[in-house]
Amino acid sequence: MSRYVRRRLIQMVPLLFGISVLIFVLIQAAPGGPEAIFLENRLFIDPQVIEAFRQRLGLDQPVPVQYVRWLTAVLSGDFGISFTTGRPVGQMILERLPATLELMSVSFVFAAVIALPLGAYSAVKQYSLFDFAATTTSFLGIAMPVFWFALILQLFFSVQLGWLPTSGRDTIGDGSFPDQVRHLILPAFVLSIRHIAGWSRYMRSSLLDVIRADFIRTARAKGLREQMVLVQHAVKNALIPVVSIMALDLAGLFSGAVIAETIFAWPGIGRLFVQAMFSRDYPLLMGILMMSSFLVVFFNLIADVVYGWLDPRISYT
Amino acid sequence: MVTARLKLPVALLVIATLAGCAAPPSTGPSPTTAASASAAAGPQKGGTLRIGYGAEVDNLNAFTSQFLTDIELTMVEGLIVSNDKNEYIPVLAKQVPTVANGLVKTRADGKLELTWPLQQGVMWHDQVHEFTADDVCFTWKYVVSVGSEVYNRNSYLPISDCRVQDKYTAVMVWDKPSAIYNGLFEAILPKYMLDGKDIVKYDPYNRSPVGTGPYIFSEWKSGEYVRVKRNPNYWRGTQYPYADEIVFRFIPDINTRLNAVKAGEVDFAQMTPTQVKDVKDLPNFNLTLVQQNSWQHFDMSIKTERGARIFGDKNVRQALFMLIDKKTIVEGVLEGTVQVADTVAPTTSPYYNPNVKKYPYDPTAAKKLLDDAGWKVGSTGIREKGTDKLQLTALLSSADAIGKLYWQVIQQNMKAAGVDIVIDTKEAAARTTVWRSGQWEIQISRWVLPADPSVTGLYSCKGSNNMTGFCDPVMDEQMIKSDEELDPAKRKAFLFKAQELLAENAFSLPVYYNVNPIVTTKKLGNFKASGTNLGSFWNVYEWYLNK
Repeated sequence: MSRYVRRRLIQMVPLLFGISVLIFVLIQAAPGGPEAIFLENRLFIDPQVIEAFRQRLGLDQPVPVQYVRWLTAVLSGDFGISFTTGRPVGQMILERLPATLELMSVSFVFAAVIALPLGAYSAVKQYSLFDFAATTTSFLGIAMPVFWFALILQLFFSVQLGWLPTSGRDTIGDGSFPDQVRHLILPAFVLSIRHIAGWSRYMRSSLLDVIRADFIRTARAKGLREQMVLVQHAVKNALIPVVSIMALDLAGLFSGAVIAETIFAWPGIGRLFVQAMFSRDYPLLMGILMMSSFLVVFFNLIADVVYGWLDPRISYT
Repeated sequence: MVTARLKLPVALLVIATLAGCAAPPSTGPSPTTAASASAAAGPQKGGTLRIGYGAEVDNLNAFTSQFLTDIELTMVEGLIVSNDKNEYIPVLAKQVPTVANGLVKTRADGKLELTWPLQQGVMWHDQVHEFTADDVCFTWKYVVSVGSEVYNRNSYLPISDCRVQDKYTAVMVWDKPSAIYNGLFEAILPKYMLDGKDIVKYDPYNRSPVGTGPYIFSEWKSGEYVRVKRNPNYWRGTQYPYADEIVFRFIPDINTRLNAVKAGEVDFAQMTPTQVKDVKDLPNFNLTLVQQNSWQHFDMSIKTERGARIFGDKNVRQALFMLIDKKTIVEGVLEGTVQVADTVAPTTSPYYNPNVKKYPYDPTAAKKLLDDAGWKVGSTGIREKGTDKLQLTALLSSADAIGKLYWQVIQQNMKAAGVDIVIDTKEAAARTTVWRSGQWEIQISRWVLPADPSVTGLYSCKGSNNMTGFCDPVMDEQMIKSDEELDPAKRKAFLFKAQELLAENAFSLPVYYNVNPIVTTKKLGNFKASGTNLGSFWNVYEWYLNK
């Protein structure tokens, strides 16, 4: 097992290297460089200023040179300076990480707590009224646009009822725990909807497969109580694919949610990414994208390891 | 999330200030101390003003930020600022130099010498260092330095020297007369803090600026807000500013901002014209439609071969102008929140020329012009001439929600006259790159001017912002003369002529003047919105919140 993990970790190096080249080239290929936003905001601009700006940022160099410079710096732990704010990229990401982690983990846990029992119950009561209702709601959840749903919730809970704040992470000047919780409810709920919908579907179909398996019939035949059969034998086995899918979603905990964070003015990584993208802030974009890439690769590995641990039939050598 | 902030680097001379403040410049704090007038209503002290702001700003250095300087101007002051009447008024300067008040002198060598008398006893926020002429010249030196990254650095370049005559007098030498001399230095940097520093990268200033203004930097929480607190030792008098604190909350989504207003979470927010109907009747808010020094303009580029063939013909340009139904756009798409524009100067400007050639919506006349110009309707219903089809590609930014709406109106109107419009929507930065390259056919976007009306950079043959390629030497002459004319009356004549030529030549069609709808809590007093690039916070020291 440890040999397998080691091998996978070593494989990550060329993989991440390839990803970095690809991303670097792609974001540079997008039309309009960092000076475009300059020009967008300041229509009357001294052309010499643009030149000085490009020079300072090293944009006057060919792309391969820029890449090598970036890579050299990254290898020494320096993710560069943001084009827009002039601040270290690492620091900017770290500043935003707590907000994203908070929002994403709350919605993740909430989604798991709801989705797994929901899916399991749907499977057990297949074709019941509950199952149909859950299925329909799930599809609604998958299909519902986040930006629309978020605004509707704001209108209802903030504008109409006045129960919850529309946006932000805390009330300026308050920031107490209950205040933070109130700010967290709407965005976390909106974000968990899609997870709930997706995971409960996986859980349902996975459990349906397992329930028909021979070993469940055996378990029942030897006289175990139905509850025992379901929880000990069926659900545990049905969880295997679901958990690996959830592990893959873990990478999202760090990269944040682009749309929801923007709509709820949540100070997380997702919103930072949007800003960086519109302003062609290459170092910041690279920083965020490399972090998410690393996490996706990393959680893939975790998923595989967990898979092996949950399912004794799978062994890594 | 419009953050556009355009200032005109090219422009020049004596403007609205002179026209507006021909009266003897007051030596008091500033002629805007209108607070006394409303004092009867009783400005109240205390309170926190919560502002629902758009996207998060990049930094808080008024010279290098790419965003509007609203936040900066609560903390930082300059020699001048522009007010609600499009006039430049003195702030840290006691008065603005003019020929009339004897502070502008022509030297024997032909250069101009401008003497700036400064306010005395003004302390920087540290309360240790005093603001002096040293700071003014230090600011000049930084702005004109190579790599200062000040977007309008070239407007400062004609200043060849800045001299500290005494502690409270700075003398600037201009190599040639420039009409916008009084629109520069909207911020002054503290020399004691920044001397010897690489200002562009100096975070201690750029993230927490030190100024002389009514508010002191307090906190910037990344992605959330910037907070400024009352300066208890403000130089205009300790009664100012009235409010204890101002918080700028960053709410990038316009719909969320609207909901935050409705939920009473903010006291002040910028809306879009299409949201006006949602906010105009809110019980606790006032709506101000701030007339911007900004207009939407329809342009054609002759920088491509095909463009030169088609748009080189004035009749075609005029025909296209007559196919744009400004009235429907203003009343339908913008719900009557804006005014139709026929020229580039805003109607409130002393340089507004009402007598330019106008192009009312007239499909019949337009069709005739096109027919006469040899553009005949072909078998597909689209006009043709030689191998060219009158199928035009409109360049549009994906961020321009209102543009998407009015282009549909134009598309329909033009189609009926045999002109086919294909809309090419590009992401904002991508659009800007294409737009700057001249490799496009038609487009509508906006220009924003400072209080000064110079448009030389936009429409002169070599203008750095002339993206269309049109060129008329006669018009150039008028614009360039206007930029170097220090006498407002003479300058007006040049600018009037330039506006007439621009319309007559049909180089660009003004469509409508932009507005900036701002909602403010009914408790807010002394708010005097300004449509210039320096924004509405010019008199923030006298704002107050009623309990």
